[in-house]
Amino acid sequence: MTSLAVVRKRLGGLMAEPAPGAPTGGVTVAPSTAEEAADVLRTAGELGLTVLPWGGGTHQGYGGRVEPAIVLSTRNLLGVDWQPDDLTVTVGAGVTVADLEDRLGTGGQTAVLPEQAATVGGVVAAGVSSYRRLRYGPTRDRVLGLTLVTGDGRIVKGRGKVVKNVAGYDLPRLVTGALGRLGLITEVTLKLWPVPASIVTVQVDQLESGDWYRPLAVLERDGHGTVVLGGHPDAIRSDAPTHARGAVWPAPITDAVRFEVRVPARHTRAAIGRIPDGWHYLAQFGVGAITVGMDTTDVDAVLELRRWTESIGGSLVVAAGGPPIEPWGTPPPSLGIQQRIVDAFDPQGIMAAGRLPGGL
Amino acid sequence: MSLVTDLEGVLGRERVFSDPLRRHIYGKDSGVKRGDPTVVVLPESTDEVVAVVRIAARHDIPVIPRGAGTGLASGIIPIGPAVMVVLTKMNHIIEIDAESATAWVEPGVVNVDLSTTTASFGLHFAPDPSSQTVSTIGGNVATGAGGPHCLAEGTTVGHVLAVELVTGDGDVVVMGSEAPDPIGLDLRAVVVGSEGTLGIVTKVLVKLTPNPQAIRTALAAFERIDDAAAAVSEIIAHGIVPAALEMIDHEMAVAIENFLHAGLPTQAGGLLLTDVSGHAASVDAELDAVEQIMRDNDAFEIRTATDEKLRADLWRGRKSAFGAVAQMAPDYYLQDTAVPRTRLVEVTGQVYEIAHRYGLKMMNVFHAGDGNLHPMMAFDASEKGTLERVERASEEMLKVCVDAGGTLSGEHGIGLEKRDLMPLIYTDVDLHAQRQVKAAFDPSNRANPGKILPLERP
Repeated sequence: MTSLAVVRKRLGGLMAEPAPGAPTGGVTVAPSTAEEAADVLRTAGELGLTVLPWGGGTHQGYGGRVEPAIVLSTRNLLGVDWQPDDLTVTVGAGVTVADLEDRLGTGGQTAVLPEQAATVGGVVAAGVSSYRRLRYGPTRDRVLGLTLVTGDGRIVKGRGKVVKNVAGYDLPRLVTGALGRLGLITEVTLKLWPVPASIVTVQVDQLESGDWYRPLAVLERDGHGTVVLGGHPDAIRSDAPTHARGAVWPAPITDAVRFEVRVPARHTRAAIGRIPDGWHYLAQFGVGAITVGMDTTDVDAVLELRRWTESIGGSLVVAAGGPPIEPWGTPPPSLGIQQRIVDAFDPQGIMAAGRLPGGL
Repeated sequence: MSLVTDLEGVLGRERVFSDPLRRHIYGKDSGVKRGDPTVVVLPESTDEVVAVVRIAARHDIPVIPRGAGTGLASGIIPIGPAVMVVLTKMNHIIEIDAESATAWVEPGVVNVDLSTTTASFGLHFAPDPSSQTVSTIGGNVATGAGGPHCLAEGTTVGHVLAVELVTGDGDVVVMGSEAPDPIGLDLRAVVVGSEGTLGIVTKVLVKLTPNPQAIRTALAAFERIDDAAAAVSEIIAHGIVPAALEMIDHEMAVAIENFLHAGLPTQAGGLLLTDVSGHAASVDAELDAVEQIMRDNDAFEIRTATDEKLRADLWRGRKSAFGAVAQMAPDYYLQDTAVPRTRLVEVTGQVYEIAHRYGLKMMNVFHAGDGNLHPMMAFDASEKGTLERVERASEEMLKVCVDAGGTLSGEHGIGLEKRDLMPLIYTDVDLHAQRQVKAAFDPSNRANPGKILPLERP
C-alpha cells in the first residue's frame, strides 16, 4: 500500500473535497477538533508525508508554492465563543473573517481583521493585518491565546483568554505569522475593540497636507489618497467637515504578481517614489507597508527595489504570483534560533518546510 | 584565573563587586525572596555585556540581568551561583525619531525619563507601571510591564519594535525591525516578558505614542463595589475605551485616606477612577457619557478634573496605594492576577474570604478595565509563620482566579514566585513546548536559569 493509501485508510473519516485553489496532488483532510488534527499530523509524521494547512488560500503566496502530500483544511474548525462584556472572542481557525466580523458587528464590536482575507486561522498564520492597524496595532497584538497542533502532533495551548497575561513565553505571537511552519492553529482567542460611533472616509489629493487625529488608516493607491477616521461624531465633524459615511476602502491590488514593500514609516513616500511607472501600489502611511502589483515580471527592477528597501532596514516580500526571485530576501540575523524552534516544533520537517526566510 | 579577576580585567575593579554588602543589596528585587549572587557587575556597553557573558560561560556560571529591582515576582533572585548583570549604567536614549515615533534606548533608561524626554515631540512611552519613576525600560521589557494606561494602549509588547539580545553564549542578535512585519518568526515578542531567561537585552527600539489632545479625569464613589464593577462593564459595552479605568475597594480607600488625608469618600464600597482622553472636540462629551453611566449605576459622588493639577489630585490617591499599604506594616505582598473582566467582583469576594480565613489584612486596587487584580496584604514577616501564611493564602487566591478563567500574572511576571504554580494553567505538554523555546534561545541554559518554568522532575 502506498503512503497515501494508508492515510486514506487510517483517516478515512476526515477525508474532504479539495479546497478551491489548493494543491491537488495529494489528499485533503478536514479535522473538526484539535485531537483529530493531532491524529493527522502523527500519521503524516509516521509516513513521512508533507502537510500544508489551508484556510481560504488568500495568503498562500508567501514563501513560494508548496506541493504537499496532505492538505490540512480548517473548514471544519468552526466554534465561536463571543464574550462581548470581556471584549474577547474565541474562534475556530476555519471561521471566516466575514462571518465573524458580521456577528461581532451586531454588538458594535470588531476583531480588526484584514479587509481582504478569508479565515481567522489564515489571518493569524499569515500574520496579516487590517489597514486599521494604524490605530489598533497589528493582528498579533490582538492574539491573546491559541491552540497549536505541532508538527509532531502535540496539542499545545499558548496563554489564554484574558486581555492581560504574562504567564509564560508568548507562544501566540510566536505562532502568529509562522505560516503554519510550527504546526496547525486550531483555535484563537482575540481581543476586540468597540466600533467607533462614527466612521467616515475622506478622499484627498495631497496626503501630507492633512492634520488628522489618530486616524484608522491613511492610504494612497496609485496617487490617490484615502483617510478613514473613526471616533466621536464631534471629533469627526471638527476634523473632516466634508466626508463620506463609513469606511470606503480603495480597491485592492489584484495583479497576478504582487509583493509587499515594508519600510520604516517615514520612508513610505520615498518608497512610492521608487516604484516604476505602470506598476500599481497601495501604501499605508504611518505603517510603512506598501502592496505593489505588476503585470509583467521585471526581475531586475524588483531586485533593485529590494536592495534599497533592505538598505534602510526594511524588506521586500513576494505575496503572490511568484516572480522568479527569492521570496523573502536577506534572512534575519536570528536564523539559528529560528531553526532550533522550527526543529523542536516540527522535528520531521513535514510542515511546509522551506517556506520561511532562510529556507527554514 | 578566578571569575572575579577575569571580570575585573574587562570592567575594572570599580564596576565589579563581590563584597557581602553589594551581594546583599543586589540579591533581591521588590518581592519577598532573597538570593546571593556570586558577583555583581555594572557594564556600560553591549561589548562589555558580551565580554561578561563570555567570561561567565567560560567559568560555567549563569548570568542574570537586573534593572532597578522593582520586580515583584523574584525574577532576578539567583537560585545558585550567578553573575548579576546590573544594567542601570546603560541608561542612554540613543536616538529619537519623532517622525516615525520611535526611539532606540538602552535598557537602563528609567521609564518616566523616556516620556519626559519625548514630551517636547508630543510623544510618550505608553506603558506606565506604578514603578515608572524608578523602573527601567529593560525591566519593563523583561516583565512585559503594564500599568493603568495600558487599557487603551496595550502592555509593553505592543510598544517594543525590536530588541538587541546578548544570548547566553555571548552572541549579539537583533530581533524585530523599525519596518512593519519583520520577516521570519517573531522572536522579539518572545523576548518581551521572558524575564531575562533568553538572554540580556542591551538595546530596545520602542514605539512612541502621540500624547492625547485633551484628558479628563473622573473619580466616582459607589456604595457597593458591585455597582462600580457594573459601571465598568457598561462603559465598555457603551463602546468607550477610556485611557484608564481603575477601581479601588473600600479597604484600600480607607488605607489611602489614613495615609494621605486627601478627603477620599471612605464610606464608599468602591471607587472608580477614569481618564477619558483623545480629541479636544469630543473629550467633554465622552466624559459626560461616562458620568451618566456612573450615575445610572448609583454613584453617590463624582469629582471631575479638566486641568493637570486637579487631575493629579484625583490620581494621587491611586498612586499612593503602595505607600499607604507599606506604612501599615513592615512588609507587604502585592499579588497580580488577571481574570475575565466580568468575573472581577465574584473573584474579589472569594479573595477576601481567603484573606479572612488566614487572618490577613488585605486591600485591593484593580486595573478594572483589564480585569487585572492587585490584592495587597500587609504583614510582619518577623512574626513566625506569617510569611508562610501569606504565601499559602496567595496560592489559594491564584487558584480561585484560574478557576474563573484567569491567569497567574497580568503584568508582573512569573519569576521564581509563581514558577511552581505554572501547572495550574498549563499541561505538561504546554510546558514542554515552552522549554523548547527557552532551549532554542539558550541551549546552554546560562540566562537566568530556574525561572518561569517548573524544574523538570528527574
